[in-house]
Amino acid sequence: MTALLEVRNLETFYGPIMAIRGVSLEVHKGQVVTVLGANGAGKTTLLKTISGIMDPEKGQVLFEGREIQGREPHQIVRRGIVQVPEGREVFPLLTVEENLALGAYTRTDKAEIARDRDLVFSYFPILAERRLQEAGTLSGGQQQMLAIGRGLMLRPKIMLLDEPSLGLSPLLTQEIFTILKRLNTDEGVTMMLVEQNAAVALDLADQGYVMELGRIVMADSAEKLAASEDIQSFYLGHANEGARGERRWKKRKTWR
Amino acid sequence: MSGDKLLRGVRINAQPMTRPVRIDGHTTVPRLLRARAQENGDHPAHREKDLGIWQAYSWTDYLHHVRLIGMGLRALGLKRGDVISILSEDNKEWMYCDMAAQCMGAVSSGVYTTDSASQLAYLVNDSGSKFLFVENEEQLDKFLEVADQMPGLQRVIIFDPEGLHAFAHDKCMLLSDLYEMGRQTDDEALFNAEIDAVQPGDVGVLIYTSGTTGQPKGVQITQENILAGMETSLYGLPFQKHAEQLCFLPLCHILERIVSLYTPLVVSSTVNFAESPETVFDNLREISPHGFVAVPRVWEKIYSRVLVMAQEATPLGRWAFARALKAGQARAAYTMEGRPVPGGTALRYRIWDFLVLANLRRMLGMDRIAQGLTGAAPISPELLKWYHAIGVPLYEGFGMSETTGVATINLPGHNKVGSVGRPNPGVEVRIADDGEIQVKGLNVFGGYLNKPEKSAEAFTPDGWLRTGDVGRIEDGYLTITGRIKDIIITAGGKNITPAEIESRLKFSHYISDAVVIGDRRKYLTCLIMIDQENVEKFAQDNKVPFSDFRSLCRAEPVLDLIRREVEDVNREFARVEQIKDFRLIDVLLTAEDEELTATMKLKRATVETRHKALIDAMY
Repeated sequence: MTALLEVRNLETFYGPIMAIRGVSLEVHKGQVVTVLGANGAGKTTLLKTISGIMDPEKGQVLFEGREIQGREPHQIVRRGIVQVPEGREVFPLLTVEENLALGAYTRTDKAEIARDRDLVFSYFPILAERRLQEAGTLSGGQQQMLAIGRGLMLRPKIMLLDEPSLGLSPLLTQEIFTILKRLNTDEGVTMMLVEQNAAVALDLADQGYVMELGRIVMADSAEKLAASEDIQSFYLGHANEGARGERRWKKRKTWR
Repeated sequence: MSGDKLLRGVRINAQPMTRPVRIDGHTTVPRLLRARAQENGDHPAHREKDLGIWQAYSWTDYLHHVRLIGMGLRALGLKRGDVISILSEDNKEWMYCDMAAQCMGAVSSGVYTTDSASQLAYLVNDSGSKFLFVENEEQLDKFLEVADQMPGLQRVIIFDPEGLHAFAHDKCMLLSDLYEMGRQTDDEALFNAEIDAVQPGDVGVLIYTSGTTGQPKGVQITQENILAGMETSLYGLPFQKHAEQLCFLPLCHILERIVSLYTPLVVSSTVNFAESPETVFDNLREISPHGFVAVPRVWEKIYSRVLVMAQEATPLGRWAFARALKAGQARAAYTMEGRPVPGGTALRYRIWDFLVLANLRRMLGMDRIAQGLTGAAPISPELLKWYHAIGVPLYEGFGMSETTGVATINLPGHNKVGSVGRPNPGVEVRIADDGEIQVKGLNVFGGYLNKPEKSAEAFTPDGWLRTGDVGRIEDGYLTITGRIKDIIITAGGKNITPAEIESRLKFSHYISDAVVIGDRRKYLTCLIMIDQENVEKFAQDNKVPFSDFRSLCRAEPVLDLIRREVEDVNREFARVEQIKDFRLIDVLLTAEDEELTATMKLKRATVETRHKALIDAMY
């Protein structure tokens, strides 16, 4: 089975700085794949390169078997790849409804759009309540919901989610991830999820990659990653307290 | 009594390896340290980076700290002949403690920071250490984990108090407290008396050999061994007075111990401690040392870095580098054999050196290296040639803990690529009937600690050291072909030295180490550890998708690449010596792993047991 999205040996630069140093990964239809990593690991750059906001220096991005790297973002969106940007970038002066309508700007089938909007409202009832409110006046969690809902309005083949948990309370994070889970199982939405919150991401995902300094250092099923010692101590915060009970140093990462 | 002679400004016996071994008239390391500290006074003895700035510490300062630690240890009950262990990365405190122990007539033993808590317990118990120095809380935690398993240990002294303000343990104290103790009981006359009491026959240093099989053995090295090793090395090592050196390999290892702790006492050079193993290349550039001694892995890494830089250069830059390298190689063909360089070749080199190579050396921090030395593992002849070509004359030597450092060495004008050189002056080397290399000299150790039967095995009845290596001598140059114990006898009855095949494999830039298997088997196979950096680069350049290290090892094009490398090597060997199959070790091994020695070599026995499944799959 060929992958829905396949990234091969990608290298992306910010001027002279190589942010992605050869990344290869696969996302299959119906899967949730997560990419974990600390600040500056290159996760967002990876998403931006896939969605066409940045152009790679080397390597390919294959979507449904066809190369799409280096294309303009609007062309890539039309193929069915939607990026939900980091920091819930909704249009603050537009209403919830208008934001959702913008998400569907490539589509013309009015009846279907209306149905999808109702679907979004059914997943995020709070958005229905505030449909006429300006998006800028929503709470952080609601804005994140709106950003996801706006992405869904395109009926994407794959959704690229950039840190949906950023700046949200643990409770809200939990709520949003529960909805993402339902979207994946009930609606079959394929997702590529970039996260720092490894616990929720691995819980949701089928497959996971760990990025460090622009490279993938670990790749495995989410289950196996969650069980790995390095992931537990560096991403899940399970501390081995050591003999003194107040250990500050971390053992060297081995990624196995 | 033979006379004296001056060599590099140092007075030594005219006849090498005669008793008493004297360096500027001194017969022990402590006496030499005291004399050098007085002579060099305020001149920097070593430097260490503090908050990003190199700080110099004078020779006076050096001896002063050694004295404070020595007196402090004495106050804590250190007696002559006691052992102290040091568990730390390289730093000035490591050096102070090592010297302090020797000045007080005690023995200093190093523990690798990559050793586990249980290995620490073994080393402390086997050496009978009364005192243990630990670098920081990370190493301290190792002690705490096995504290109850080391009954003989009296005190643990911590270098770095960071993060330990609330920590209290009745056996532990901080180094600053030890200094204070030393200050309170300071008595220069007493300290000098302790130094004077140290005899050339006293054991001063314990080096634990990583040992590819069994538990590590403590090599007992006497003051005379060290001085003899230094004396004979003086003929070959390139260091001059006040030369700059960089210390970065573990000081527990004989190579760095000799080069960075004892050589400076002979030639009054300045030691710069690298910040960490990760910053060695930056530190190298900052220091630009006059001499550089490293293991092949380090030389290989620098080479790979340059190749990558060259590939990413502009077309003009790439062209110029290729031309410069060619000019360098043309000249190296003469210089490496000590032949005079023809005028045209020399001129071409001068031009390209001025335009390209000199800048490259400056960028690497190798512009002042008159002579580089590699040892502890075989190095590829192509790599040696490459270094000569860029103007860094690199020579291979051979030595082991049991010979207190370098025993044979190639030198400018006396160089044979592929060999480990001629015996140092005063060192005798012979080949036994079974091919074993045997060594004799005052630099050869007396025996292993607590292991009389192993010690007996280490010597022939007529008192020569059995090195355990097999090899041959041609025109005075020694060539090592392998380890005696590793000789493989195939099911067909053929004797094979795996090391010969393994070193050939290792010369590939894509293979970092290999273990050939085939004892009592039908044919030879091998397990290969790939060079992560170079293979990743190969995969990137050839569009081979991979995610983590394991998937890199499984990628078909990577397997093909290694297969080609193996086939290349096979061509050089007879049919029975050819590798029929191989497997890649798909875990990225680190120094903490038991499969690797401290110098990052694969341990045959451990590899064979840990990766039995991979091996069995090949038969």
